[in-house]
Amino acid sequence: MEQALVAEAKDAPRAGDLAFDRLYRSSRDDVYAYVASLLRDEAAAEEVTAAAFERAYRKRNRFDPERGEPRAWLFGIARNAALDELRCRGRQAELTAEPVDFDGASLDEDVAQSERRLAVAEALERLEPRERELIALKFFAGLENREIARVLGIGESNAGTKLHRAMTKLREACDGNA
Amino acid sequence: METPRDDQLAEDLRALRPTPHPQFATELDKRAAAGFPRRSRLPRISFGRLRAVRPRRLLLPAAGLAAIAIAVTTAFVATNESKESEGGGGSLLSLTAPQAQESAPTTPPVETAGEEATAASGAASSNGASFSYDGSGRYSRSSDRLDNRSVERSAQIVLGADPADVAEDAAKVLEAVHAHNGIVMRSSTRQGAAGEAGARFELLIPSAKLNDALAALSAIDEVRSRHEATADITAPTVNVGELLQDSKARIDSLLGQLEGAETESEREAVEAELRQERRHRARLRAELQNLQRRAELSRVLLRIETGAAEEPSGGGAWGIDDALGDAGQIFAVAAAVAVVALAILGPIALIALLAWLTHRAWVRRERRRVLS
Repeated sequence: MEQALVAEAKDAPRAGDLAFDRLYRSSRDDVYAYVASLLRDEAAAEEVTAAAFERAYRKRNRFDPERGEPRAWLFGIARNAALDELRCRGRQAELTAEPVDFDGASLDEDVAQSERRLAVAEALERLEPRERELIALKFFAGLENREIARVLGIGESNAGTKLHRAMTKLREACDGNA
Repeated sequence: METPRDDQLAEDLRALRPTPHPQFATELDKRAAAGFPRRSRLPRISFGRLRAVRPRRLLLPAAGLAAIAIAVTTAFVATNESKESEGGGGSLLSLTAPQAQESAPTTPPVETAGEEATAASGAASSNGASFSYDGSGRYSRSSDRLDNRSVERSAQIVLGADPADVAEDAAKVLEAVHAHNGIVMRSSTRQGAAGEAGARFELLIPSAKLNDALAALSAIDEVRSRHEATADITAPTVNVGELLQDSKARIDSLLGQLEGAETESEREAVEAELRQERRHRARLRAELQNLQRRAELSRVLLRIETGAAEEPSGGGAWGIDDALGDAGQIFAVAAAVAVVALAILGPIALIALLAWLTHRAWVRRERRRVLS
């Protein structure tokens, strides 16, 4: 989804809406996956995902294509919404949340694959939140390194380095589980 | 179990990707199709509705309201200023009137019981004096008098007349003054051609009858101008009354000492002090009477003019110069109002900006910290 959300002035509303609609359809599941990995709460993830798209829709006219891709912009909004949700939780009492079921898709897999993915899921749980976020942006949301860098507000090479470290740590954690 | 390779690890991670519940996805699709209608966890309030409006849409009504407020304030201030400038002559009159009153002949008070009673009765009839004499040698406050202010009033009237009518109008003036128990302090008349003939009167009219007297005087001939002014003299009246009370107490004390004096020298010393205090008391009483007279009698300056009426500076038909003058005045007032508004709104806006920046920095810091 590389198309800008802005359009010619005369048909700006319709073209802008269409562009946003394409962005929404291509990113809905990715945004949910990323937010769910941050919050680890299905209900909260749904709430925050909806809020993020709502915010993005309201701000769609303020999107500046020169400052990055639409997906990076959208994930930046989703990230802020998720972090705000985490902040609210920090101020409130500990919430009882149902963790997202990471291994639900592996029921039909063979036993070895299921065990391996269970080990990966457990290793992922043990990562630092920032590392887990990097992996979520890369593999759950499917962002490129430059988009990850844009979302996190860091350099692209820095994002690549951090991601590499996170993957190494995840691999070591998987080895530990094994 | 072997360590997953990178591509296998990536594949496993993608397989672990959380997926939204179909029902949630359907609902979100509907909301997306509807343009994400705003929903709130909290009950919608008017402020929330206001926040939903784009800032640009709020800008125009806000600017309109600000412009209306500035225009109303400007008009209000300009109106007040014009009223004050109109009353400026009155203020001058009120400043000059006491001097004229002080120059009025006053009877030196003599310290006798009968005259004290006369002075007291004068005080009692005063229209605002705060002290009265109770007939037993004491000046006391009267509660009902404290409710009334001691106010000195003055007026200035200019009548226009034909040269042939000056004498007749002057007679009518005197008649009106006498009819209202007034006093003619000074008067002069001039006969002659238009512009030369005229008359001038300095009058003292009982304040209680001033309105009636002014109406009668205004009815004599064409009124070219009429100004009235007031000055509150309650404070000096109260002050002199209190000093008078103190002086009376001091005299009573000295009289007691005089009765108890045993030697001739002691008696003479007390008598000397008593004489001095009585002179002081007489001065105070005269001052009080003068103040009471200023409240009781209003000074009226009346002139009878002949010939064309004097046009005040800038007078006549309203023209371009007047329009430019008025426009300049309105512009000056508007600029002053804008400066005052800026002086008020500037710091408020600065504080709001600082608060917003602080809040934003705090939110960013908290977001960074929440993942730590």
